[in-house]
Amino acid sequence: MKGHMGKILRIDLTSRSLSVIDTAQYEGWFGGHGMGSAIFWDLCKDKAISGYDPRNVITIMTSPLSGTLVPSASGRTEICGIGIQSYPTEWYTRSNVGGRFSAMLKYAGWDGIVIEGKADKPVWINIINDQVTIESAESLWGLDAWQTQEEIWSAVMGERNYEGWWQVGTARDSGRSTQKPAVLAIGQAGEHLNRNAAIIHDAGNGAGQGGFGGVWGAKNLKAISVMGTGSISIADPNALIEARRWHQSRQYNVDAPAMQFPTDNFPPMYGTMARTPGFAPLILPVTEPSRPKGCAGCFVACRKRTQSGYSNESTCVETAYYLDGGPEIQWKAADLLQRYGLNVYDINIFNYLRELNKMGILGRGKQIECDLPFEKFGSWEFIDMYCRQIAYREGIGADLGEGIIRASAKWGRLEEDLNSGILPFPNWGFNEHYDPRLEVEWSYGSILGDRDINEHDFNWYVHWMPMVTAAAGQPPAYSAEKISEIFAKKLSPYNDPMMPDYSEEGIYSDAKIKSVAWHRHYTRFYKQSMLFCDWAWPDLINVNVPNLEGTTGEAEPKFINAVTGGNITFEEGMELGRKIWNLDRAIWTLQGRHRDQEVHAGYVYNVPTTVPYHLPVYENGEWKFSTCEGRTLDRNKWEDFKTRYYKFEGWDPETGWPTRAALSSVGLGQVADELAKNDRLGK
Amino acid sequence: MSDKTQNSENRELSRRQFLKFAGGIAAGVGFGGSLPRLFQLSDGIIAVPASEGYLLIDTKKCAGCLSCMMACSLVHEGKENLSLSRIQILQNPYGRFPEDISQEFCRQCVYPACVEACPTGALAADAKTGRVRIVYQNKCVGCQQCVEACHYDPSRVVWNHEDKYSIKCDLCANTPYWNEKGGPDGCQACIEICPMKAIAFTKDIPRQDMEGYTVNLRGLAWKNLGFPTD
Repeated sequence: MKGHMGKILRIDLTSRSLSVIDTAQYEGWFGGHGMGSAIFWDLCKDKAISGYDPRNVITIMTSPLSGTLVPSASGRTEICGIGIQSYPTEWYTRSNVGGRFSAMLKYAGWDGIVIEGKADKPVWINIINDQVTIESAESLWGLDAWQTQEEIWSAVMGERNYEGWWQVGTARDSGRSTQKPAVLAIGQAGEHLNRNAAIIHDAGNGAGQGGFGGVWGAKNLKAISVMGTGSISIADPNALIEARRWHQSRQYNVDAPAMQFPTDNFPPMYGTMARTPGFAPLILPVTEPSRPKGCAGCFVACRKRTQSGYSNESTCVETAYYLDGGPEIQWKAADLLQRYGLNVYDINIFNYLRELNKMGILGRGKQIECDLPFEKFGSWEFIDMYCRQIAYREGIGADLGEGIIRASAKWGRLEEDLNSGILPFPNWGFNEHYDPRLEVEWSYGSILGDRDINEHDFNWYVHWMPMVTAAAGQPPAYSAEKISEIFAKKLSPYNDPMMPDYSEEGIYSDAKIKSVAWHRHYTRFYKQSMLFCDWAWPDLINVNVPNLEGTTGEAEPKFINAVTGGNITFEEGMELGRKIWNLDRAIWTLQGRHRDQEVHAGYVYNVPTTVPYHLPVYENGEWKFSTCEGRTLDRNKWEDFKTRYYKFEGWDPETGWPTRAALSSVGLGQVADELAKNDRLGK
Repeated sequence: MSDKTQNSENRELSRRQFLKFAGGIAAGVGFGGSLPRLFQLSDGIIAVPASEGYLLIDTKKCAGCLSCMMACSLVHEGKENLSLSRIQILQNPYGRFPEDISQEFCRQCVYPACVEACPTGALAADAKTGRVRIVYQNKCVGCQQCVEACHYDPSRVVWNHEDKYSIKCDLCANTPYWNEKGGPDGCQACIEICPMKAIAFTKDIPRQDMEGYTVNLRGLAWKNLGFPTD
């Protein structure tokens, strides 16, 4: 298949041996998550092991689109393996990091990397085209993720690591580049095996969810560096550039935008609708001179690099988790995360810790000993100490490095605090991202899976748009009925106009089953295997064009076929997504998954929503936007929904396990055999 | 576009503008058959006819997404490879705006050292391709003297280590993998693809100084996004 480089690098850290997997063996999975799950299935013989176990198999995968001009699909890397963050079970999971690593890996001639075993001493992997060496990382151990990358740039390129052509070796035709090596690295948090440790790339790209930084630390793997100077074959170059022109012509025009913002202070907020440059750092108001920064091949460029250099490339909550001290401390706090390699979502728990402090439970000389200066919350001193303690597992960090969910369990508070909602972690020990009682594709998809899904496919349209326009005192950019109309057109193969109904009835409806299934299948293939970026795809409703219709449905296969030379349809991609979703389900089943576990934290059912939360609803025969106050999930209705969803996917409604019929329908008969052998095949 | 990109009052530029139109007449004067494209000015400076087009890049508007590099490699070589791009974007993720990125692209020099250095006539500035400094691959013998001769670092003449010939920006005059008319009277892939519209085209010779061209393509819409326009 064009777009593939033909080989996957397999590294056994225990024996320090290298080998090559022929990509063609896994070609039918295309790349990314699908290919990673298939490799994991084959190579990780005991899938019920801990994520810390040396036998854990970690895949770091590209896609056929990586390194190509396909918009916002060129730079993302999918990382899979058994994670260490989810609770109570360490599920097989995934994370995804932007930047340019996957592109560079392709230019070096590799479709992915598979990591097995555990090195006896700290190491880093040095990939320069087809030359791969395992290097000592003893001099890097203890450095933060930025220092590590800078040291590796110098180690690979010598002192002249910028501003010129760098020659691979000494032969005239061995390749040259002006780019820095692309490096994935862990900081001190990963070295200390934190369950909230991230893998960091460049300044602000992080694979956070799952705790893969701690998994790397357990393998004594500090970093992987790659420098590539080779070419990726493209089946139809003209079709590719013309598809890019076509798609881009329908996106935000930076010089002549179709949408005008109502106020000066709202660019990032309106950027969630129009996909404007630099919208990802949610900083209001915008005061710091900066430029937008895009990952490789991106048409949005949602990040920023700033005049101060603070918060370079950081996004979203990273730039806004610590607001009380003002902009400079806020931005520097983002850099603490990137340097230590910390997952912001697990450490953004100030409300909980301060509540325990106020209750007299946590603090100096209290039941839970903690020497953090809560009286100085908002200061640099506080956040510096807080992040350091977690990264080094010092003080309260000894507990918080295990992740807040396990810390709370150790303190004997978990059940009570999940029930009251002062610890709002609804799914598998992951922090609340959007309201699990209301925006249910998110919470259903998370609990039916392995983590906080962090997939914004519907979220921009159904929640952000009405919320932002309401906050600005403006009418919605489009009606709830328009959402229904376009979703019905775009969400193939189901095409049900009731899918975006978030009313009390709608969230348990058959249409919502289709909506959840579409979301699971679309993301598994298009986003996590083909690696279209979550913040740029799908293109469903587009405020930059008069008819509001995005390119999704037409665009994805157009790009894939231009690169690969294939003839895949959008629906065939959705079916591949279903296949990957089923394979993951089989892995979780072997890890001990049962339907009884797929229940959200208590507060989701016990504590009604109080804050206005905008979503489209269909009530009394008409579409409208509602603020959805006073809502909870109903336990019985959720159980009924689960039963119907399992049947929809072809899974056993008693256990939630995949059936032979479901697995065979997507060509996974051998997976059914393995489940049967383990007495875990659904009936 | 800022008027900083144009400077008709500059004496040197006026001469260059003259050369732009006079080049066809003067070609070959004073030189043997091995260097038919060059001619000599009265002050002894060797020059070739001025290019009929130039790229302009707003260094503060560029988002460092590398899309221009991918587009360049794609339309010229039919494959994706940053090392085969005739425009190079260098950056430091930890750098401070605006010094975090530098955009290195061919200036279509009025006094092109690369053309002068080529011993085979593979580097030329022909009228049929709008006088852009272009490599004719069938004549390139791979001596890399053009790569070495370029006054800029990194060299704007790129060595294609896979196909063994030099390549450089031709304003898309010769794009075998793109069904679009290129060159000074057509489209350029990097301009078409840049999502920030940070690259522009001009037929007027831009003013240069030690810092390179001074280009400002940022207007009110850019300001409204919260980015600087100064």
